[in-house]
Amino acid sequence: MPDIDIDAPGKTLLLMGNEAIARGALEAGIGFIASYPGTPSSEILPTLAGVAKRRGIYAEWSVNEMVAMMVATGASLGGVRAMATMKQNGTNVAMDFIATLTQRGLRGGGGLLLVNCDDPGQRNSPNEQDTRPVAKWLDIPLLEPGDFQEAKDMTKWLFDLSEELDTLCMLRCVAKISHTRGNVKLNELPEKEKKARFELDRLGRPVNPHAAVHEKLDKAQEKFELSPFNRYVGPDKADLLIITCGGSWLHSQEAVRLLKLEDKVGILKLGTLWPLPEKLVVQHLGKSQRILFVEETDPFVERSVMELAASLPPDSLRPIFYGKRSGHVPAYGELNPDSVIRAITKIMGLTYESRDADYSKKVEAAVKSDVVVRIGTLCPGCPHRASYWAIKNALKLDGRLGFATADNGCISAGLGPAGFYVAKTAYAMGSGAAVADGLGKLGQFGFDQPVLGGVGDSTFYHAGIPALLNAVWNKSNFTLIVYDNNATAMTGFQPHPGTGMTAMGDPAREVSIEAICRSMGVRVEICDPFDLEKTTETLLDVMKDEREGPRVVVMRRECELIRARREGPPYDVYVDTEKCLGDSCGCDRLCTRILRCPGLVWDEEAGKSKIDEIICSGCGLCADICPQGAIIREPVVTQEREIAEEIPGR
Amino acid sequence: MDVKVKGSKELFDEVINKGLCTLCGACAGACPYLVPYKGRIVLLDNCTLTEGQCYKYCPRTYTDMDAISQQVFGAPYSEDELGTTKEVLMVRSTDAGIREKAQYGGAVTTLVSLAMAEGIINSAILTRTTDDKTPKGFLARSKTAVLECAGSSYMACPVLESYNHVPEYSNHRLGIVAVPCQVLAVSKMKREPPQNRFDVNNIKLVIGLFCTWALSPDGFHQFLTENLNLPWVTKFDIPPPPANRFDAYTASGRMSFSLEQVRQFTMPTCAYCLDMTSEFADISIGSVEGTEGWNTVIIRTDTGAELMEMARVKAKLEIDKLPDENLAHLKEAALLKKKRALQEIIKKSGDEKNLLYLGLSQSLIDRLMV
Repeated sequence: MPDIDIDAPGKTLLLMGNEAIARGALEAGIGFIASYPGTPSSEILPTLAGVAKRRGIYAEWSVNEMVAMMVATGASLGGVRAMATMKQNGTNVAMDFIATLTQRGLRGGGGLLLVNCDDPGQRNSPNEQDTRPVAKWLDIPLLEPGDFQEAKDMTKWLFDLSEELDTLCMLRCVAKISHTRGNVKLNELPEKEKKARFELDRLGRPVNPHAAVHEKLDKAQEKFELSPFNRYVGPDKADLLIITCGGSWLHSQEAVRLLKLEDKVGILKLGTLWPLPEKLVVQHLGKSQRILFVEETDPFVERSVMELAASLPPDSLRPIFYGKRSGHVPAYGELNPDSVIRAITKIMGLTYESRDADYSKKVEAAVKSDVVVRIGTLCPGCPHRASYWAIKNALKLDGRLGFATADNGCISAGLGPAGFYVAKTAYAMGSGAAVADGLGKLGQFGFDQPVLGGVGDSTFYHAGIPALLNAVWNKSNFTLIVYDNNATAMTGFQPHPGTGMTAMGDPAREVSIEAICRSMGVRVEICDPFDLEKTTETLLDVMKDEREGPRVVVMRRECELIRARREGPPYDVYVDTEKCLGDSCGCDRLCTRILRCPGLVWDEEAGKSKIDEIICSGCGLCADICPQGAIIREPVVTQEREIAEEIPGR
Repeated sequence: MDVKVKGSKELFDEVINKGLCTLCGACAGACPYLVPYKGRIVLLDNCTLTEGQCYKYCPRTYTDMDAISQQVFGAPYSEDELGTTKEVLMVRSTDAGIREKAQYGGAVTTLVSLAMAEGIINSAILTRTTDDKTPKGFLARSKTAVLECAGSSYMACPVLESYNHVPEYSNHRLGIVAVPCQVLAVSKMKREPPQNRFDVNNIKLVIGLFCTWALSPDGFHQFLTENLNLPWVTKFDIPPPPANRFDAYTASGRMSFSLEQVRQFTMPTCAYCLDMTSEFADISIGSVEGTEGWNTVIIRTDTGAELMEMARVKAKLEIDKLPDENLAHLKEAALLKKKRALQEIIKKSGDEKNLLYLGLSQSLIDRLMV
């Protein structure tokens, strides 16, 4: 793919939605971007960071989204166009700041954008959430792209709008736009030259801040009435009018086309979602007696339009509304063309079968022999598997019905079979520590179960530090496990304050987790989770530590995916079929039934376990758990490894 | 009568959760799921096997005493208070060094060392205490290692876990020193040898210890930790009655606790045990009531008799006949344990016909119920 900053107006590139957003920012002359990784938003920042130096812009991974939003605001106040990007959970984190920011305005600063990427269907999120209501709630002009071109164009346009209105503007994208690709026609890039200055005379706060922002919204609404991001395709009088936005627009078009209803069903696609372009909407409401709302997650447009309809003059025609409220469109999860087809056919009394009823059975039969059934799991070689194994055993040995709490990211696997179900909760960034902190204060109520709070390394910096500090201050009795794989692994290995590198690839100070903990006076133990015995022993000892306040165990081992990119497998691992006794062993398939590393499979034919050589990463963990010693690991000595070992500190 | 072999779930339902587990260790070490830890048998993961060695060799799952005796002695279970005996003796080691470190007359250490020296065995499963006086099973391969294991901590120790860890294909000719419940478990293994494990026929010598009860390795160890600087302790001792003391020796002298104080840490399961003298061992060894520094020794099998003969010939032991009065006392105590245990078992099951794990002939039951 050509570089994202190619200066070729008119050229068409196949861009991922997130790249299109990045390109739009470049075309708008962005100077500053800050973000915290979170699927599906994570690619926007690296796309800009990759060209930051030659475009003369600044890009940073911030420690969390609130900080990202704040530092971007700082840049805006300095006169530089700035953007903060995050997923829905991140916007929640930043919201306290945003709520006040909108009422203060930008004071003549550079355009400021919040790009929020939602994850309908929560494929990669702890929750499913529609963040559009934040715009309505906190008075932010909001746009949502319906395709890739719009993802770019809206981003660019919002910078102008932000400066014109002197307020934060918001772009909401969804996974299906962010993470898929489409054609994007480029516009020109501006000059690189940027000069930052904080204008002292522009300081001051509006007399009535809330009133001021409402005035801005009124202005935004006027502009939205005429915006080309809102468009209608269909007959002048339609049997059914679909009002849609975002990725659902694509599904709506597809559904109408498949049903061959182009001359009966009209589609009003809205791109400017808040404030609602009321005149435009009212004008289209007259097109049909039946209105169907198609949008993902919350009935945001649906409710806004229904509110609008309720305020129409008494003698107005009142259409029938269909959507999430009527049950015609699912109230949660990702939509697809079928969801729209179902709604349309139900409303219009049609029948449509996209495929024959047995289709899924036929597919299942066809692929059965070739597709291995796998559980949601951790990667082969993942150090978290070893950590959870040691925790599982330590909790059982301890015998006081202890349990773990997990957090976001890879360690949320602790809730399932890959983490042996040791984790019982996982909510939001930092909650693995703070929820454990709360449980650890229940001694006075007779609570005596050991709690192993959990936090990943990146999350430790993000929200774990205040949680630990709180626990230290209030003397909570629990153990905080920091699962330190030296990576923000779940979202794609973005650097964090412990990795010694910035988003733009510059070396940085490595901020030590244990030094932070020790500075709070906390006992810190550092374990290599692959040393199962020692780790289990340490956990048992730490859980019995009766001194006041929390303890910290850092489970330290590099993310396997990062290690494997750098070097080959450390071990040749294989099952000695002489030693493996199969089902007559008495081990009850510990390796494939309990450990369940995807690299180790049960060979039905041989009645023994075997290594799946394609998948096995050669970590050798399974050799430690086989009671029969039938899994053999032999160190792989390669030239690279020998060289690596000679370099001190590597 | 044989009873269906079940799995770990039933082991927990019928034995462990019922408070019958003796912590002998027979269930542990042969699979990855059952692990002894601080006085408990812990199930690390759910095991789905419906038949397991854990259940099969547990001395507190159903045990047909006649069948076991048939296996070990070629005869049904003896109704004698001391079980099957050839000879009852009183001995002490001729090695003052052993006597110093060992319990009473040092007979166990002396006989294990001798068996090793004579090539009857080449290694032995013994109990060794760690620095903090936690007893742990241990595979001793030399006379020095055997001496390291001299002395008792009186705490239950899952020694048989170490036995289960002996690799299948190893050239060990093993001796085992064990308490009665463990000797019973070993006898169960002898009767139906474990599959895919170390060959039980390579256990060449079983030395059984007298045992009236064992102390909980969790509670009692906690008590010791609170009252003693454990790494300084060189030896524990319960001198023969009527001393009624538990002694701990350090370089600076002796610290005594009343036996009542110590007995609160008795494993509750010991109340259901009929066997005071390790009746299925080759040789059983205990103290001599009223005589410090000597051991009572019961020779039960040919193996035991041959070893004792060697000790006599090589002058490793001073050997004497156990005085009649002592023998009578010993028998009385052994019978009392049987009677009490039977009562406790019936009390626990709530049914005279339900003896929990115990498969005894009706005539012996009748004798003990008097």
